[in-house]
Amino acid sequence: MKQLPCIAPASITGYQCVSTAGDSLHELLAALLANRACLRPLSLFPPPFATVVGEVVSRLPDIGPNLQSYACRNAGLALHALGQDGMRAAVDAATARYGAGRVGVVLGTSTSGIYETENAYRVLAGAGAMPDDFSFLHTHTAQASAEFLWRELALQGPCYGISTACSSSAKALGAAQRLLAADICDAVLVAGVDSLCRLTLFGFNSLQLISPEACRPMDSGRRGINIGEAAALLLLERPDPGNAACPRLLAVGEASDAHHMSSPHPEGLGAAAAMTQALQLAGRRPEQVDYINLHATASQLNDLSEAKAVHRVFRRPPPCAGVKGLLGHTLGAAGAVEAVVSLLALEQGFLPGNCGLRRVDPLCDLPIVAEPRLNSRPRLILSNAFGFGGNNASVLLEAA
Amino acid sequence: MDCMSLLGFGACAPDAGFRAGLPFPADDITREAMPAMLRRRASRSTQMAFSAALRACSQAGRSPAGLPAVFASAAGEIQITDQLCLELTRAEPMVSPAAFHNSVQNTVAGYWSIAQRCTQPATALAAGDDTFAMGLLEAWCQLACLGGELLLVCYDERWPAYLAPGRGQVEFASALLLAAGGWPDAVMQLGRPVYATSAVDEFSPPAGSDPVLAVLPLLARAAGGASVQPSLPVGRNWLVDVHKR
Repeated sequence: MKQLPCIAPASITGYQCVSTAGDSLHELLAALLANRACLRPLSLFPPPFATVVGEVVSRLPDIGPNLQSYACRNAGLALHALGQDGMRAAVDAATARYGAGRVGVVLGTSTSGIYETENAYRVLAGAGAMPDDFSFLHTHTAQASAEFLWRELALQGPCYGISTACSSSAKALGAAQRLLAADICDAVLVAGVDSLCRLTLFGFNSLQLISPEACRPMDSGRRGINIGEAAALLLLERPDPGNAACPRLLAVGEASDAHHMSSPHPEGLGAAAAMTQALQLAGRRPEQVDYINLHATASQLNDLSEAKAVHRVFRRPPPCAGVKGLLGHTLGAAGAVEAVVSLLALEQGFLPGNCGLRRVDPLCDLPIVAEPRLNSRPRLILSNAFGFGGNNASVLLEAA
Repeated sequence: MDCMSLLGFGACAPDAGFRAGLPFPADDITREAMPAMLRRRASRSTQMAFSAALRACSQAGRSPAGLPAVFASAAGEIQITDQLCLELTRAEPMVSPAAFHNSVQNTVAGYWSIAQRCTQPATALAAGDDTFAMGLLEAWCQLACLGGELLLVCYDERWPAYLAPGRGQVEFASALLLAAGGWPDAVMQLGRPVYATSAVDEFSPPAGSDPVLAVLPLLARAAGGASVQPSLPVGRNWLVDVHKR
């Protein structure tokens, strides 16, 4: 493996997350501390089979008339997160300070606005034509909701969407950090957004990966995943004395399995390489990590592969847990959502639990935190996100 | 980092008429670009991207296995996604596992890493009309922060006509093998992509306005002689300085 240089850390000067746990950070924190599943029956469209999902049930704000062509559930979720406590003001302040051309947007999403595409195809199947208001490049394609945020916030910096399945928004964090480190931008808004749709429900069901009941990551009786939706936003800036009280993104490690399109490497080689690279880029050692937020989807193979990967990197693994038993698997949004979970743990001083756990799978054999551990003071948290195509990312976050 | 170096490039344009009109060498889909097992199931995107990427690697004399890769595509695996969306309109949809995992935007990235046994990072991005420009910017940032060399592949297969009428009708892939800093034997050197606050006037790629064709001025310059004009459009609002001896 080539020797990597270190990358300059980024301050996280604002963050928000809308999920099935609620709209505000306060509600997300309460759910993490209560450690009770926020999963529910699907209400967005008739459920095709028995499962529960992490659905956002609050009413989403309307997209403004000038940006109507971007209107879709994904953009609505993003706008809802932007409207939470102080988030829009934080981006506006960065824009005023640095200039619109120095503020960028990087979105991570797996399926973008495909829920609206699916609805448009129903019209196509019936009437023989797409509905007049269908806007492929403003709702369906992977950059669509990034472009929406960019226009909504009147930004002029770089704007793109990263779509590498379930590692998308973890990789968006890495891309944003590089935009700062390479002095392209002075601030970057990272968005992780995915919304419920038929494609992912039927698709994961075809792979026999959907659990009929609330999922149980790392449990010996786990039966598969629950799909969720969410929008998480994080504002990254270069560290300076004014944001010294903010937590920092130290590095994002990335690696490919080079093994299979939908199954992880059985020994977790790509996942281990991503974790190792994150530590190397940050100039940290494994024993300095206080907690690992596991990707832990509750699929048989993924959890086993990740456990092997953790053992490969850590001689004595630190406390670990996954939150998908609370929020569901928010797919392309998961990297950003779980970065927010990790930031709450760093700032509020606790270790999140592993909702749904009854008995740790002996084959996984990790020190899983079943119930939240209060009065902890984690300083360094590693947060994993792995996706189809053997696409692995690991995010290293540090307390202020 | 002051500049990045283009060490090799490739292009794939399956339509012979379109290919003949290009001002730089381009290939049809190269059957040998992927193992037979993969070729049978591979999308047009995957076949074109592999063809262009292997050409760029061979031109530069580099092994694909050691290179991080950036895959940029405005619409990704739109043909199989279209089939899935049609299937999902049925009362009892039948979605196959392979169709599902082959519909993700990083399908090409995944198959590339598997076929080339490449464990380096691979990313997949989209940016509408600025897809190539943002791919180039992502490449710039990776090279500026991490050094070394990488592969940038930009591709789009044909979009079903009812999705975006008049757009996405050209099948095309390009690949650039890029290195951090200035290399004496480089095809040419590229500066940092910059945003032009007004839309770039001269940005009118031939054969319509497909995002995947935004690379054409750059490839034409790479294949041509020494040039007068230093600055090239790479997207609707993005320019890059090029230096070719």
